[in-house]
Amino acid sequence: MTELEKKIKAKIPGEDTGIEVKHSLCAICSPGIHCGVDCYVKDGKIIRVEGTMEHPYNHGHLCTKGSSLRNYVYREDRIKTPLKRGGERGEGKFEPISWDEAYQIIAENLNKVKEAYSANSVAFFSGYCKWYRPIFHRFAHVFGSVNFGTDDSTCSASMVIGYKVTSGAVGATDLIHANTFLGWNFDGYYSNHLNVAGVQKLKERGGKVIIIDIRDTPASKNLADIFLKIRPGTDGALALGMAKLIIDNGWADMDYVEKYTFGFDKYKELVDQYPLDKVCEITGLDGGKILEATKLFATNGPACINFSASALVHHINGFNTHRATVCLSALTGNFDRAGGNVPGVMTYLHKPAGFVTREHEFRSNRYPGGAKRIGAERFPLWDAQFDEFQSMDLLRQVETADPYPIKAIFGLGMNAKMFPQTNQLLKAMKNNLDFFVNTDLFMTMTCKYADIVLPACTSVERGELKAYQGGYLTFTQPVITPLYESKSDTDILCELARVMDLDDDLLKAGYEACMDWIIDGCGLTVADLKKSDLPVKVPIAQWPPRPGKCLEDGFKTPSGKFEFYSNAIAAIDPKYGLDPLPSYRDPLEDQNDPETKAAYPFYLCTGARLPHAIHSRTHETPWLRSLRPDPTIEVYTTDAERLGLQNGEPVELYSPYGKIRMKVKVTARSQPGVLMTLHGYTEANVNELIGRNHLDPYSGYPGFKGMRCNIRKVQEA
Amino acid sequence: MKHVFVFDQDKCSACSACMMGCLDQNDTDLAAGDKCFRQTFDNEIPLADGGTYFAYISAACMHCVDAPCIPACPVGCLYKDPETGFTVYDNTNCIGCKSCAMACPFGAPRYRASDGKMVKCDGCNERVKNGLDPACVRACSFGALTCVTEEEYKASGSTKACNALIDQLGLRKK
Repeated sequence: MTELEKKIKAKIPGEDTGIEVKHSLCAICSPGIHCGVDCYVKDGKIIRVEGTMEHPYNHGHLCTKGSSLRNYVYREDRIKTPLKRGGERGEGKFEPISWDEAYQIIAENLNKVKEAYSANSVAFFSGYCKWYRPIFHRFAHVFGSVNFGTDDSTCSASMVIGYKVTSGAVGATDLIHANTFLGWNFDGYYSNHLNVAGVQKLKERGGKVIIIDIRDTPASKNLADIFLKIRPGTDGALALGMAKLIIDNGWADMDYVEKYTFGFDKYKELVDQYPLDKVCEITGLDGGKILEATKLFATNGPACINFSASALVHHINGFNTHRATVCLSALTGNFDRAGGNVPGVMTYLHKPAGFVTREHEFRSNRYPGGAKRIGAERFPLWDAQFDEFQSMDLLRQVETADPYPIKAIFGLGMNAKMFPQTNQLLKAMKNNLDFFVNTDLFMTMTCKYADIVLPACTSVERGELKAYQGGYLTFTQPVITPLYESKSDTDILCELARVMDLDDDLLKAGYEACMDWIIDGCGLTVADLKKSDLPVKVPIAQWPPRPGKCLEDGFKTPSGKFEFYSNAIAAIDPKYGLDPLPSYRDPLEDQNDPETKAAYPFYLCTGARLPHAIHSRTHETPWLRSLRPDPTIEVYTTDAERLGLQNGEPVELYSPYGKIRMKVKVTARSQPGVLMTLHGYTEANVNELIGRNHLDPYSGYPGFKGMRCNIRKVQEA
Repeated sequence: MKHVFVFDQDKCSACSACMMGCLDQNDTDLAAGDKCFRQTFDNEIPLADGGTYFAYISAACMHCVDAPCIPACPVGCLYKDPETGFTVYDNTNCIGCKSCAMACPFGAPRYRASDGKMVKCDGCNERVKNGLDPACVRACSFGALTCVTEEEYKASGSTKACNALIDQLGLRKK
């Protein structure tokens, strides 16, 4: 081999090897992250991916999923052309059609439903990824429908609303100035790799770390000074018990409480119902350890708390649990203070970058109104606090047409596996919809039910606007041309807006014009941003967020204070039974009758992260799938012993709603009586086991992480 | 300049990003049954007190100082790169006898069924010679896996060099 051949084989970038390094971003996981990537490109193909060292957000780091980006982009199940259904819905028989024909069919069918019923009978629904959502949201409204919904119906928004009704804004951890980090469900190693370094640094300078989790994790091993391995779904009781300890021991910051909070007396009455022995009984924790952790958190401040987008709020008691944990921050005088949890402004698509854009206005200033959104009647708090429909009520409305029929769904990345009892939704869609169009990268189980399927491209095949912490904006450039006939989601929407001649010059002007409208006033335009292939500093950005703004100017709540007692919840019709205080109830409250308890003794917790997976997005990516080839149920050692279950053994997992097959992994990571598994497998979709009405009445969120089930041996299929 | 792989177990989570980096760099054909040169381990070790030790480990060729695979090869495929110190190979003459794999205490050399030859981690020798980190190191977000020069390693006071593991574990035949 010549020296040059060696270099080419080793993928060394350079003029001699013809390998060029181009910058883009990875959009496999949440838009709250989206790391910068270096794509090694040769002859129009990506041959290697690594994190961009010069990127101001991820500084060269990529997680497990991002490191497999090439394998994700070039997956064999990418949809290649627009497709028109041939056989029955669900059969998966399609014929390729042109983009023009696809647009014509979509336009015709959406307009047909609009004329026969109303524009609201078309539901617009987005799964992952979220990058195109402002365009899609506006599209729905301009078309005339109030019904725009997303996976926010089950992800993150419950936490955001919980904050909104308590403190008026989400408070980010100010780790740099903290002495104690309360990592409630913190496991950066598996779900947010960039968060680990901050905690490591805090430890290195003598800071203390408390981890609360239901399982042993790398964070509990590598980072925790105190680890509370809590019984799942009982975090709310722990938070109330901690509050009582803080008040009783005189650790509360009463100056802060008097000056900046609302409803303390009622809150105190609530927490007084949670003495330590009762909390130990509920949570399964040792009283001494709770006291030790509480003392550390309350007296070794400033202290900040990690809040997860899903871990707590995926319980039917999750909304209040989240509020109860946020209350601890104010009770100890840490909210909106340096080293505590500091509210900031969201700049664009879940990213704070120290300046405001017109994203919300862009999404909502064409809201048609005039009808109730899906789920409004059932989840009034959600409807009052969030400008999307609550999709956990979609199935009911598709089935019953109450209060009006849903006759078409326009999906971008819609994935029915997100919905409890998935098959019921697919069945209702198959039988009751006049039209269903879905757009995706891959031929998913949901796409097989669509009348028209459109091929989207990945982040490395498109250009997009992205904000980053630190006061940055970027507009990426495609590093390769879109594979096959795929297109960027936003190009699809803007082209369709032209074909349908929607009444909106902005959408018809295209994605870049829309982005220019959104960032207008920040001192930069899309054209400016495109001059650099890395994020650029925005002139008006103020970074980092300055603590104390709420304390000076008031909280964005009805009382202008931090609300232990939420006035926004008190304003909801009492018939819904929502408590303005963050009261606790059992996570299996709706399943605790003696018969159900006896038949389904296990606590099923789904979706706790593993490093190689996020939702269903990476299960079919070969490199990642090779790390855990089989859908697996984690069974605690003593339970496995009692049931005679061995590693790798096939089992059936069942609930009153469904059954699936998985393979056993015996582990001591979790705890007795708890079964843990990932969600999103097509061949073992655990959401079939979650009851469609097993929902948190405050947010509408399903109890993905707390559901009764049972397990039994089966013969290998 | 000689290079040393260093592994810090206290920073590892077995997230396997290192493996993804390795697969990406080496175009490993998983569908053909080939295996990643690097492996992670997420092992649970029961302790005497009833507790469990959670071991998070990433391992590949240790690039032993005195690598036993080198003399084991009857056709002289394996050798030390004089510049980097990595245990590298040219498998043109490989006869697929697996002697190298037998000699290695860590199971690093692999028999590749598709062409009947031995392959192994070469420390991303060519990348390192061109001033880049090995692919696995580049993919590690937590500082668990690093690759430093011998001088840097000595100056760091670390005892976690992979190439010393064979001696630390007492695995060498007398």
